[in-house]
Amino acid sequence: MTDADVQAERRRAARALLASPLMTSGSEAKRSEDFRLVRKHAGELASWFTQETGWRLVVDAGAARLYKTPARPDDATRPARAPRTRVPFTRRRYVLLCLALAVLERADAQITLGRLADGVLTATGDPVLVAAGIEFRMDRREERSDLVAAVRLLLEWGVLHRVAGDEEAYLSEASNDVLYDVRRRVLAALPAATRGPSTVEAAAPDQRLTLLTSDVAPDTEELRLRALRHRLTRRLLDDPVVYYAELPEDERAYLVSQRHAITRRITELTGLVAEMRAEGIAMVDPEDELTDLRMPEQGTDGHATLLVAAHLATADGPRTEPQLVELVRQLAAQHRSYWRKGAAEPAAAAELLSQALDRLTALDLVTREGGHVTAKPALVRYALAAPTIRKARSRA
Amino acid sequence: MSDAPPPQPFAYLQAPNAALYGQVLAVFAQARERFIVHLRPEDVAAELRQGSGGTAAVPVGTEAVGAALEKLVEWGNLRADADTGRVTSVEDFHRARYLYQLTRHGQAALRAMAVYEQALGRRGELQSVALADIAEQLGSLLVLAQAEDPDPAKTHLLLLQIAERFGSLADNAQAFMASLRRTIDFQDGDEEAFIAYKDRLVEYIERFIADLAGRGAQIADLLTRLNAAGVGRLLLAAARREAGDAVPDSDEPEAELARAEAAQSALVAWENRWRGLADWFLSRSPRQPSQAKLLRGAAVSAITGLINTVAALNERRGGRSDRSADFRALARFFAQAADDAAAHRLWRAAFALTPARHLTVDAATQAAWQEADLAATTPWAEAPPLEISPRLRETGSYERRGRPNRVADRTAARQVLAEQVEREAAQTTAARARLATDGPVLLSELAGPDGLDPHAFRLFLAVLGDALSARVPGESESSALTGDGTMEVRLKLVDPDTTVRIPTADGVLCGPEHIIEIIDLAPTGDVV
Repeated sequence: MTDADVQAERRRAARALLASPLMTSGSEAKRSEDFRLVRKHAGELASWFTQETGWRLVVDAGAARLYKTPARPDDATRPARAPRTRVPFTRRRYVLLCLALAVLERADAQITLGRLADGVLTATGDPVLVAAGIEFRMDRREERSDLVAAVRLLLEWGVLHRVAGDEEAYLSEASNDVLYDVRRRVLAALPAATRGPSTVEAAAPDQRLTLLTSDVAPDTEELRLRALRHRLTRRLLDDPVVYYAELPEDERAYLVSQRHAITRRITELTGLVAEMRAEGIAMVDPEDELTDLRMPEQGTDGHATLLVAAHLATADGPRTEPQLVELVRQLAAQHRSYWRKGAAEPAAAAELLSQALDRLTALDLVTREGGHVTAKPALVRYALAAPTIRKARSRA
Repeated sequence: MSDAPPPQPFAYLQAPNAALYGQVLAVFAQARERFIVHLRPEDVAAELRQGSGGTAAVPVGTEAVGAALEKLVEWGNLRADADTGRVTSVEDFHRARYLYQLTRHGQAALRAMAVYEQALGRRGELQSVALADIAEQLGSLLVLAQAEDPDPAKTHLLLLQIAERFGSLADNAQAFMASLRRTIDFQDGDEEAFIAYKDRLVEYIERFIADLAGRGAQIADLLTRLNAAGVGRLLLAAARREAGDAVPDSDEPEAELARAEAAQSALVAWENRWRGLADWFLSRSPRQPSQAKLLRGAAVSAITGLINTVAALNERRGGRSDRSADFRALARFFAQAADDAAAHRLWRAAFALTPARHLTVDAATQAAWQEADLAATTPWAEAPPLEISPRLRETGSYERRGRPNRVADRTAARQVLAEQVEREAAQTTAARARLATDGPVLLSELAGPDGLDPHAFRLFLAVLGDALSARVPGESESSALTGDGTMEVRLKLVDPDTTVRIPTADGVLCGPEHIIEIIDLAPTGDVV
């Protein structure tokens, strides 16, 4: 095996970890191959992540976990999603998920869905939950489906392993029970907060987030610089674009001076390429796979997003959402033959725009504020490329 | 009070103020123990406030006591008699005054409640004395069983004693098992409850489980020996004796019959008890462990739970948190999140399971950047934008790397392939035609003056390979069919020392001279 092969394997393993920070053995073929590679290169990967990001990588025979503490607590565009429908979790589902985990934490090696539901119901008696307006009774189908969404997520992660029965039957009738094995080691690998949430006493939500993700405060100059590098590398590894203007002064100064060193290390590990511009840095992926949201993307939604992006990139100044809805309406008429059925109906435009803006926001390409949509600098990369001679040559 | 409703001495238990009623009645019960029958409301209130007789002091007004007394009279627990004693204030004088005493019903109810509470309050303590007693009595029983003619009276009494002792043992065990099984949840950090539980468990294990392990074996041994000695005889004797009690002595045939029946049912009952005793101490099979074994198992798992809880408490004291509590805390944080967006942020911070997210770039764009030789200070607006295929821009779909095309037009490719196949077929045909010999020729002559062209040579090499590999060592002649069966080749070594040279486009082939005959089995045109 040549050095290049080893490097390619390690790159694949690192990418797999960045895409799914919790990997377990025994999943489908592609992922189990990735898991094998992660195990194989665990030592180097762990030391890389510790060195460059301060993230912990724990690998054993059953699971690999990269504790990817986010460097940016204000990003609300990465919800947990229901495994099948990809619908983002609601507040209720998150609560339910946590309660289910609390029950599983105390459960034996096996549990049934009915028993789990009972445990969750008992736990919802917590006065704090009641005060917050969270209330469950498992007698309605929608409420059971909230629980099932949480359970399916646990199945996907490998915390639970289905032994008998299926959730669909439970949805239609609560007496149809499902039996699971509980994989405690995976369960133990789930919480990633640097501090036990039960020891966090702050009441303000933002303060809670800070405490949950806080690292030990660096007390020497060297450690301070290291913490800076960790924060910046974390952002570059996880986020689509890092804008200088949005960084605190010390991070900005450090990134400006160290950008080549930092991005080179990232490129070596992951194969991501630094798109270095005056306004910031985007680690872009030539292989177009290390992401959960694609741009450009095929299909009606992807196309609408692309066209809205192109419009915003070439427009001067912000646009209001009504203006953009009108734009989407025109686009829908124009592309009627390619877009999905019903997309050209007047009512569909707002929905299409909303998903397009969600995606652009998630990719950190626009900001939405008070009904105004403003392009961020990196959006310009989606401007319509002028057909130049240079371009023709590069095609040839 | 002739048309008074029937007394309901237990009604107070369901009433809203059940605790107060109970305390008032307790005061009467205590007063009775001191041979005081009548009590005034003031006395009751004073007793309650003092909290005498082991009950806690209850700060309660005379008014409340009065109301309670009236209610109790209504239910029939108490009887009210007009109070003719002197008073010291005007208000008291104007108030209807009574002396209260317990009624028969009230007394019965109190006694019933005492029994009830005693039964409920039975702590799960297992008297180790009971085990010793049972062992001893079983020993005596064994002596009887081994006797020629056991005394029915002695047997019966012994069996009764064993049954009683064992009954209370089993009751206590059941109570203890229940209390072990009850989930004492320490999630809210109820350390006091935990410490109480821990003390009880440790005490229990010291006092009983150790004893059970020792005595249990002894008892099991005695039971086995009794079973072997024919305990049925003793049970029958006891049953007969009981039947004698149940049916009066008489020589009538009916009485005889009744006695036999009674004896039979008594025997069934005794056998049942005996089986219970045996099951308690003897495991029937590995799948049906004895009660004693189950108890020990429960105690052991309780110890495990205890250790876990101690560890969790320690961790909490040490600033570390237990995960179940962490998850519950997170559930609370999520519940208090202002909106879904806040919940998403919390989700990412607490679980960090979100995937990385990156923009894409393609080779053409990268090349464009390279060519433009951009400085790191170039604004995005001045850098070449991402090259997006015009087709994607126009239609929203394009051929994506790594994914199969949905509908691919392969006409052109197919044509290229067809042409290639045709060309190759023609070359092969030509080569075959070139190689086929009309009868045996010398190898050196095969090639002719022009040598072999590459196609013919390649075919020749294949043919030669087949022929050479078919040759048996030591033989100088061989013949073989080619792999596809369309040609036959015959080869005969002429002179191993003469080397011939066959010039070809690829070089010169050297080797010993052979006579070679190549026969084309499939005439030209048949080969597809």
